[in-house]
Amino acid sequence: MNWSATVRTIILCAVLILLHYTLRPLLAWRASADFLIIALLVASVRVRPGVAAIFGFVLGLASDSLALGAFGAGALAMTLIGFSWSRLKAVFFADHVLLNGFFLFLGKWAYEIVMNLVERRMHGAELLMQILVWSSLSAAVTAVAGVLALMLLRPVLETRGT
Amino acid sequence: MARTARFTARLDLVIFGACVLLSLIATVLPANLREPVASALRRTMVAPLMRLQQGAERWRAAYLASERIELQRDTLALAASRVPTLETENDRLRKLLGLGSKLQWGFIPAEALQGRGRAEDFTVTLSAGSRAGVRERSLVVAPEGVVGVVQTVDPTLSLAILFAHPDFRVSAMSADGSAFGIVQPHVSTTSTTQEPAFLRSERYLLEMRGVPFRATMKPGSVVYSSGLGGIYPKGVPVGVVLAEIRTTEAWARTYLLRPAVNPAELTSVMILTPQRAAAGLVNVWSDAGVVDSATKGIVAAGDSLARKSAAAEAAARRAAIDSAARLIADSLRRDTTGTARDTVARPRVTAPAAALPRDTSPAAIAARDSVARARVRRARRDSIAKARAVDSAAQSVPGAVRPPTRPPATGARP
Repeated sequence: MNWSATVRTIILCAVLILLHYTLRPLLAWRASADFLIIALLVASVRVRPGVAAIFGFVLGLASDSLALGAFGAGALAMTLIGFSWSRLKAVFFADHVLLNGFFLFLGKWAYEIVMNLVERRMHGAELLMQILVWSSLSAAVTAVAGVLALMLLRPVLETRGT
Repeated sequence: MARTARFTARLDLVIFGACVLLSLIATVLPANLREPVASALRRTMVAPLMRLQQGAERWRAAYLASERIELQRDTLALAASRVPTLETENDRLRKLLGLGSKLQWGFIPAEALQGRGRAEDFTVTLSAGSRAGVRERSLVVAPEGVVGVVQTVDPTLSLAILFAHPDFRVSAMSADGSAFGIVQPHVSTTSTTQEPAFLRSERYLLEMRGVPFRATMKPGSVVYSSGLGGIYPKGVPVGVVLAEIRTTEAWARTYLLRPAVNPAELTSVMILTPQRAAAGLVNVWSDAGVVDSATKGIVAAGDSLARKSAAAEAAARRAAIDSAARLIADSLRRDTTGTARDTVARPRVTAPAAALPRDTSPAAIAARDSVARARVRRARRDSIAKARAVDSAAQSVPGAVRPPTRPPATGARP
């Protein structure tokens, strides 16, 4: 990945992180899009797995700093997701928007499952309902938002790293 | 090259393992160690993001507040637009309740369903029928006065003609009972065209025909039903005199009346049962008539007292003159006969107090007025006592049919 692509990726991730802290509170949906996950996907498929793991760890730790009940859980989940996406990009990731959306859905859902399990705030049927309904709904919304973002930003993301 | 690739792959794994390990350590950190780390992150890296989030949430709160204010404004505007209607309805229902309490019994409350068809201009559908006790030719009234007469009765509905119907007629009189006539709709096409054009355009006005020429009514005078004819009991307001209409009839006057009831505001009415109409409605609407007649009675009583006082004064004056004449004649007789002084006791003729010159001071006038009022009150008490005596005598008659003291159980209360 050349410098130009690196700068564009950094700018894009910054914009997505800003959207996470501006657009999400404005919408205030119960199942809202997670722009941090989208930023992690955008960055992970363009950097080495180690860098993706570090980026996921930092993003997760930043989000955990506001949720003391599950401090470290977000970092763990995002590290796993970032590293996995970066490792799988050569195998599965094509330059296909719907495939990206599917992986966004899986990544967000995995993140939600890890968060709910580590947080240990819900149990039994409530936890099952949260994971199957609200987490999957949030993952779907994130996937849709990610697909839209990728389609809009395709001209910016033309250069793809190896 | 391959060696470098293996090295970077191992490096990635090491970094990943380190991140995972750190994350796991973070999850199991005790609170006293976790909080400083989180606080440091919040103060440094997350602080600008948090400010962004606060701004966004403030925007959202402002948007929600403006939306809420707009909703409240719309709600208030809607409520405000309904206030006049509600006030009018409330006022009308209060009047209807007042009328019901005055009638006490023998009435059927009903909703007036006004049709908007061409043939329904002068009729109204009432939401009470024969099951509620409505009969044909029952009088329909509103708190303001006469509305019309029931013409057709169905089990659940009835049709009534309004006072503006061409067939409507009612015998009416002025409040003081000095002028009588027949009230009928004011049909401008058949009447003379001497009245102003704005009156001809009024389709709901009434006219009172056949008023004796010597009886005059001033504009604003209330006209009541006279009770003649059998359908309309005495004392129900029919309308208010607007002006006199010039007609070709030389022996009678015709007056234009504004109906007591506005048909456009007719929503709830009372249908009077024939028994209630027969029992009389004099004390229901006749407050103004009572005041007028009381005023007239007071004036008449004052006039009669003045006449009596004048007659007493004249009698006293005549008595004084007679006694003076007798004294003069006696003295002359004594002088001419030279007789001794007449020692025979003679009744002393003294002029009554009334023969004295009339005191016109304000205190004397007030005293005379109070005496006159006391006489009027005494006469009124006597008449009421007589009426009660007659009433009690009528009650003692076995088999006499009296109206119920309470309204009938079947829908007689509004």
